[in-house]
This record gives sequence, C-alpha cells and structure tokens, in this order.
Amino acid sequence: MSKSNSMTLNRRSFLAGVSASALLPSALTFGTSAAAETVKMGGILHTTMWPTPTYLNAAITTAGTEAFLSPKMFDGLLGYDYGMKPKGSLAREWNVSEDGQRITFKLRDDVKWHDGEPFTAKDVAFTFMEVLKVFHGRGKTTFAALSAVETPDDHTAVFVLDKPSPAMMRALDSRESPILPAHIYEGTDIMANPANVKPIGTGPFKLAAYEIGANVVMEKNPDYWDEGYPRLDRMVVQFIADGSTRAAMLESGEVDAIFFNMIPAQDILRIAAEPGFVMEKRGFETMLSSQQMDFNLDHPILAKKEVRHAIAHAIDTKWITDNIWYGLGKPGKTPLHAGQTPFFTTEGVPAYPLDLEKANALLDEAGYPRKNGGMRFSLMLDPSPWGTESINASSYVREQLRQIGIAVTVRTQDFALFVKTVYTDRKHDLALYTAAMGVDPTIGVQRFYDSHSFKPGVGFSNGAHYDNPKVDALLEAAATEVDEAKRIEDYAEFQRIAMEDLPVLKITDIEMATIAADYVKDFTVDAIGAAGSLKQLWLDQ
Amino acid sequence: MRLSRDTAAFRLISHPSGAIGLILLILVAAMAVSAGWLFPAGPWTMVGAPRVWPGADPRFPLGTDSMGRDILTELFYGSRVSLAIGIVSALVSLVFGTLVGAIAGYYGRWIDDLLMRLTDAVQTIPSFLAAIAIVGVIGPSLTTITIAIAIVSWPMIARLVRADFLKLRSLDFVQSCRIIGMSDLRIIFTQILPNCLAPIIVSSSVLVATAIIVEASLSFLGLGDPNVMSWGTILNVGRQELRSGWYMTAIPALALVVTVLALNLISDALNDSLNPRLKERS
Repeated sequence: MSKSNSMTLNRRSFLAGVSASALLPSALTFGTSAAAETVKMGGILHTTMWPTPTYLNAAITTAGTEAFLSPKMFDGLLGYDYGMKPKGSLAREWNVSEDGQRITFKLRDDVKWHDGEPFTAKDVAFTFMEVLKVFHGRGKTTFAALSAVETPDDHTAVFVLDKPSPAMMRALDSRESPILPAHIYEGTDIMANPANVKPIGTGPFKLAAYEIGANVVMEKNPDYWDEGYPRLDRMVVQFIADGSTRAAMLESGEVDAIFFNMIPAQDILRIAAEPGFVMEKRGFETMLSSQQMDFNLDHPILAKKEVRHAIAHAIDTKWITDNIWYGLGKPGKTPLHAGQTPFFTTEGVPAYPLDLEKANALLDEAGYPRKNGGMRFSLMLDPSPWGTESINASSYVREQLRQIGIAVTVRTQDFALFVKTVYTDRKHDLALYTAAMGVDPTIGVQRFYDSHSFKPGVGFSNGAHYDNPKVDALLEAAATEVDEAKRIEDYAEFQRIAMEDLPVLKITDIEMATIAADYVKDFTVDAIGAAGSLKQLWLDQ
Repeated sequence: MRLSRDTAAFRLISHPSGAIGLILLILVAAMAVSAGWLFPAGPWTMVGAPRVWPGADPRFPLGTDSMGRDILTELFYGSRVSLAIGIVSALVSLVFGTLVGAIAGYYGRWIDDLLMRLTDAVQTIPSFLAAIAIVGVIGPSLTTITIAIAIVSWPMIARLVRADFLKLRSLDFVQSCRIIGMSDLRIIFTQILPNCLAPIIVSSSVLVATAIIVEASLSFLGLGDPNVMSWGTILNVGRQELRSGWYMTAIPALALVVTVLALNLISDALNDSLNPRLKERS
C-alpha cells in the first residue's frame, strides 16, 4: 500500500516537474501553490457555513455567511495582495489625486452581468451612492466622506470626497463593497429586491440553486471576464448548525474545506495535525479581530490610572492567547491588531507584563488597601457570549484579580442583553468581548477610543467613555492623512498614549485559520483569502 | 441509642440498596464538608498547566481542566453546590407542591379545578425547556437556577399529595375531627398530612436527584452560574474539550451518576420500608 502510494507520488511530481518547466511564467502566478503542480480544471468543492444567510448579497449586510457567499458571485473594484496591496479587479487602474479628494477608476470594458447586460460606470456610482452608503453596516462610516461618484464615460468612475479618506482605499474588495447591477436595483426597494436572494453579479460563479436553510449551489460562470477562471465547475455550501458536526464532515470527507473558522480552534488544530489536511493562517487581513476588555472610566475606582495598570499587570495575555485561543493569536500589545501593517508598532509603547507584586503595590498606592477579608473592592465583569472565548477568559481574569484582592463577579447574559447592559445602560465595570478591528484602524479601532464615538445605545462604540483630546486629534488627523509616513507616525503616537492611559486592555489579536483537505489547492492566494472569489481554487484529484 | 428492629430507619439501612445508597451519599456529603479543609485554596486557583491528564502528574490525580485547575478540588467543591441546589430546590418544590396538592385535595370543587388546571398547565410545558427559558430570560445565578428547577418540578408532588388527600379526607378519622370542630388547617397539617408523608418522602429523594441533573444540564449548556463551581460547571468547561480531553467531562459525569444512583437507591429502599404492605417483602 505504502509502496504504491510513493510510486504515484513520484510519477505525479515527475509529470508536474515537466509541465512546470514548460509553463514557468504561469506557474509563478499561482500564489501559494508549489511551482511543481499542474493545475487541474473542474470538480466540485463542498464546504459548510453557519448561520443560514438572509440574503446572498453582501452589499446590504455584514453577516458572516453572506460575506463568504456574495464575493463568489459579485466582484469589487479592487482586490488586495498580501499586505493589503491593492490590485485590479473590475477597475483596471486607479489614480488618487494629490489632495486625496478625487479618485479615478478606469473600469474593464469586457465585463458582463450574469444576465448578459454590460457592466458600466453607472453600476459603480449606483452601488456606492445608493446602496453601500445607505444600507451597509460599515459602509455608512467607511464611505462617509464620499460625496459623489462622477461618470464621465461608461468606463470611468471618479470618486469625489469631502476630505481625504485613506481607509476607504482598503475597503473596495468584493466582500466589503460588491458592485451591484443598477439595471436590476434602480428604482426598487433595495432591501426587498428579489435579486437579493437570486443574485445577478459579474463574479466567477452564478447561483445554480438555493434551498433556504439547507444549501447554496453555485456554478461556473462561462462568460467570466478573467480568462481561465474559475477553475471549479461548482461550489456547494451546506448550512450546518453544529460545530462538531462541521468538524466531523471535514474529517469524513463530506466537505473539502472549512473557511472562516467555522469549527472551534481546538478542532482546527487537532485536524491539522492529522495526515491529509492543511492549515493556512493567511488570507484574513480584511477580517482582523481582537479580544479586549473595557474599563468603565465612569466607575470611581477604575477612573484611577494606577488601578487599571494594576489590573493589566495581573493578567497574563499570553496565557489567555495560549490556552483560551489555543495559540491561534498573538498576545495584545496595542489598540491596533498586530496584522494592521504598517501602522501597528510596539516601539515606545508601555507594556504590562504579569507581575502580581507590582499590581498589589499599585493598588496599595492608589489608596485601596486590603480589608480584613483580604479583598480591596469588588467589580462586575460582563463577558460577551459571542463564542465561548470571552466567557472562558473572564473566568481566568476573575481568578487573577482575586489574587490581587479584587473580588470579581462574572455576569453572563445573552448577546442582546450584554449589548444593552454595557452600551446602553452602562452598568458594567469591566466588559470583555471580541470585536472586528477593521481593514484599517480608522474603520475598526478608532471607535473604541474616539471621544466622539461615546454614544450610549450604540454597540461596540467607546464603551470605556475614554476622552482624551490629544488622542481625538491624532485619530482625526490619521483618518484624513494622505501621506502614509505621517499616518504611521500619528498611529504610533496614538498607540503610545492609549497604552499609557489604558482605557481598554487588549488581550489577544486573534488569528484565524482555514483548514482544508490537502487536495484543495490555492484556496488562499492573497490578503482576502476565502472572503474573495476563490476563482483560483482547484482540486488535485 | 438503639434502633428497634421494626422502625423504618432500621429497615432502610438493612435494605441492601438502601445501605449502598446511604454509603454513597454519605461519601458525597463528606466531600462537600471536607472540601474547604482539604483544599483551602479554593476550586478556582489555577495550580498547574492546563489539560494535564489524570495520572500524568502526581500532584493532580484526576488531572487539570483547560484552565489549569485541579479537577479533584473542583469535584470536592462542586459537590457542595450540586447538593445544595438539589436539596434547596427540592425543598421549595416540596413545600409548594404539598400546599397546592393539600388545598386542592382537601377542599375539592372549584378550588381543586383551578389548582389542578394550573398544575396541568405547568406539567404540559417540557420541564427542561421551561428551566432553560426561565434561566435564559432572568440570567443565570444560583438563585434563579434553584427557583427555575423548583418551578418545573412542583406539579409532580402536587398531584401525589392531592390523590392522597382525596382518598383520606372521606375516611372516618377525618370526619370525626370535623365533627369535634377542628379547624381545616389543623386537620390538613396534623391529621391528613402525616398520613401521606410516605410517598412524599420517597419522591423527595428522586426530586433531589432530578434537580442535580437539571442543574448540571443547564451548566452543560452554558446556562450555569459562572461564579460558582458545581459539577455542571466542570462539565461545561470539559465539554469544549470533548474530543481532545474526554476525562474532563467523564469525571464530573461519573460523580453525577454516583450521586443520582445513590439517591435513587435510597428512594427505592424508602419506598419498601415505608410501605406497610411491603413490610414482609424485605
């Protein structure tokens, strides 16, 4: 058995080697695939998602399953290579004016919608002005500065901005900003348009069948503008509610790959250690998220900086990263996610290594000596019930804080009540949660620190009630700064001040992972990974 | 003090399943009592590396959970909470169920109709789902969990007591009490109730067992009180590691099985020893 296996492998790699030498230039463009593999066309990819989607169109929702399905059928203006370097998609080339307030996109002229109509600049103008700015959860803020889209001809779109918005240039991919057909949506009730569940896009796949609550089947778009793609014939996405069932499906071969961390981290790591599977941590640059803990600064004790520093010294973020996140992450160092290059920096940023003695001393100095029971004061900790990681981490935090004389009570509630308690009623002392950090700090991080985003009632805003004019000014400057070097410096200064003031304790910068059978090739070739079209994915079987 | 041969207590301990059940239960109670003395650091202290298998480190004979807490310590402290929740919620539902059953059975007519329709209504709701709903809405804490369990388990007692009251209230000794002018309350509590205690006592030990299981199930689903260490809490942490460290689930589950088994054995033995007609059987 093992002998014949090695025989086939040898023969296969030999054949692949021959073809690679003949087709060297194209082999180089295959991204993650080893140079010595021949791309095979056709085949069906099976995968699974949860929860079931409401729409099949990510322009009007930010939900996870839609974010996976929609980019297969819709294109964006741009794509992003590793490091969020923009690359062409529906836009062939683009040009940002010197003042950063006019962005000209030259569009492809060979693109057709799935119904045969030609794609034009009108579709782009319509999508941004009428849909993304109005209905997309993040689009409202991402494109706040976008005042108009001019269309001098059918294949040119000019974005006119009130003020420069460098973050916007990182949000033009097919997941975040899919381009919708104006001829289908114009003049209709956009949220109720039947095309939301029968998508007509420009993407490499077309909808073949959709059984609500059960599955979505997508088939190859034979008229796709990018010659030679997609490589698959079909993609079948089943909706399975239970995480352990999803893991079992991968192990039994019922599905070929699991994207977007649809199974728990410990299962990903366990399966990755088995033969026949590969794990890939790249391709999540547009889906960065972190676990962090807000200090409610309206609380008289937590308002003292030394108390917050003491708490930070009592919590070993590496322990949480290694044990709660199973090592799929990096211990938090600054407000930014470690993946937010080139802005993330630890240079000159205060750190709070585990040091219980120092923590105790800080609390004594702050005027909270241990009372006869051994405790100094008590706090309420609200973990978000999204996933189990925040609840598990809160159990660690409670025990660590007990060691320094702070009695913590953990209050678990359902998600809606958690949001109400923390952001509307502000009854929390500490709130521990995971949140998206955004493709750009302006989109994901600013909201937790900007005093203008202290908005009771708005979930995942400035829950700490942090108010530092210096930080406000830095964040505002960075949001509109066209010069990237200057922007990097603004964010560096912000990270230093925020970690000194510590309104929010960053715990873990979460890393995600795709797990796939080893015959699934090229599922991650750029910054967007499976949130892209997967047109380059092929099956070696 | 010597036990006379024909007391119920003697019959209970000489009953084979009663004896086994009692020994097991005493062991569990001893765990609860000695926890603070044997493990003064408490159940939450993270004493070692997480996920140490049982036997791998002599310091942790039953291993550690995913937070690096000693499972043996957790088990000892967990017995306190599990037993307390079981006993308190059983007591609450016992008192409430007895009151409803006694009043309905004694007075009959429209009061009986009213109370029994209420009992029916509660009984038609699947009890575990109802407990999930109550805890889910109010939020998990030791008190809500206890109340939720009591709310879903009193109807069984109410039906039992009512049936006995219906039977007893027409008997001569009750009639004679009425004739000499005894008040209703006195008849209910001093005359009829003592005569239907046997089934109540038997079912109460089953009630405790059920309550312990419901609490563990709630915790297993993540609806337990995160601030107290019960066997359900250990289960909930272990469940997330089921594929890689099944012992974290199996150990507290075993403790649950033993305790519930003990209570059921005792209940069986009680049934035999309190039921005069079965006296000769054992």
